[in-house]
Amino acid sequence: MAGMSLLRSAAVFAARLSPFKSLNKGSKNVSNLLTRTIPKTEQVAVRWGHGKQLFVVQPSRFYDSRFLRLLKYYFFLTGIPVAVIVTFINVFYGEAELAEIPEGYEPEYWEYYRHPITRFISRNVYDSPVKDYEKAMAAIQIEKEKADHRLAHLEVRRQMRQRGDGPWFHEQTVDKSLIDRRHKATPDA
Amino acid sequence: MPDNYDKDVYPEPPSRTPADNKQTSLPNPALILAKLFYYSVDLPVTKYREWVDSVQSGNKSVYYHQRFRRVPDLTDCEEGDYVCYYEADMQWKRDHKVDQEIIRVLQERMRACHVREGDNGYSQNCLKEVQDFKDASRGFQSRYGDLGGYADARKCLMKQKERMINGRNA
Repeated sequence: MAGMSLLRSAAVFAARLSPFKSLNKGSKNVSNLLTRTIPKTEQVAVRWGHGKQLFVVQPSRFYDSRFLRLLKYYFFLTGIPVAVIVTFINVFYGEAELAEIPEGYEPEYWEYYRHPITRFISRNVYDSPVKDYEKAMAAIQIEKEKADHRLAHLEVRRQMRQRGDGPWFHEQTVDKSLIDRRHKATPDA
Repeated sequence: MPDNYDKDVYPEPPSRTPADNKQTSLPNPALILAKLFYYSVDLPVTKYREWVDSVQSGNKSVYYHQRFRRVPDLTDCEEGDYVCYYEADMQWKRDHKVDQEIIRVLQERMRACHVREGDNGYSQNCLKEVQDFKDASRGFQSRYGDLGGYADARKCLMKQKERMINGRNA
């Protein structure tokens, strides 16, 4: 017993002297003397650069990033062609310059605009402003005539009902040939 | 000025830029910065603009200022002639836009005068521009002011009627 404690204290002393050297086994093992086990720090899978690997529990970022990805995709799908086309037109065509109307010349209706894209749209897509003006005036004229007709109709009804000399407001009477006058043929019979 | 004035008191400006009279041998930082700005910003921008102009000069187009015929006013229209009302209304809208632009031009002139003269000389030298703008904006307010966003030729005429009634009563 006393010898065992002496051996133990000797082993502790030896371990304290060289704690990281395994005295009789392979280098992978922890010192397996009957003492406190001292872990060899170079054998554990730890890198001193970034710290210990952790599994951080966080909510999913999939939906947000999918939304932003799709947003950027659909925005640039037509945005880039439009930007390229507009840049091309502005660089290679350029805006028109103001000039006096020459004598005896009636400019086309698209020649009153400055930017080439506006001129294109006005020429190919829209009707001329004069035509739009005339269309509006035609609509107003038609509505005015309808309103006048309605007022005239009301006035005619009033007059015909009052005077009774027109084709309207006739009361239907029975046909003369259907009247039975036989009971009047013999008075005081 | 008369011909025989004292040339020392009113010296003529030099006809050419005077040559550099550098007193030190150190480089001039203002000159260095100016040259830096010139080569990094000014020159590329000018070259690009000249290239764009040379490309655009091939397909140049012109646009014109449209002139509209005068049509009868709202007061010259028969009652119930809605087409005449429409044409008068369109003419009034065009005149309204023109008046807005007139006010804007006068305001631009006043602002330019302010920038030219500075805050101190503004009250002395810009009186004409300021007076023009004030008169024009007073007229604009009395005719078009407070009509609202859906302003119409009829509403403007009614406002004129109110003005005339108030002027008659006053």
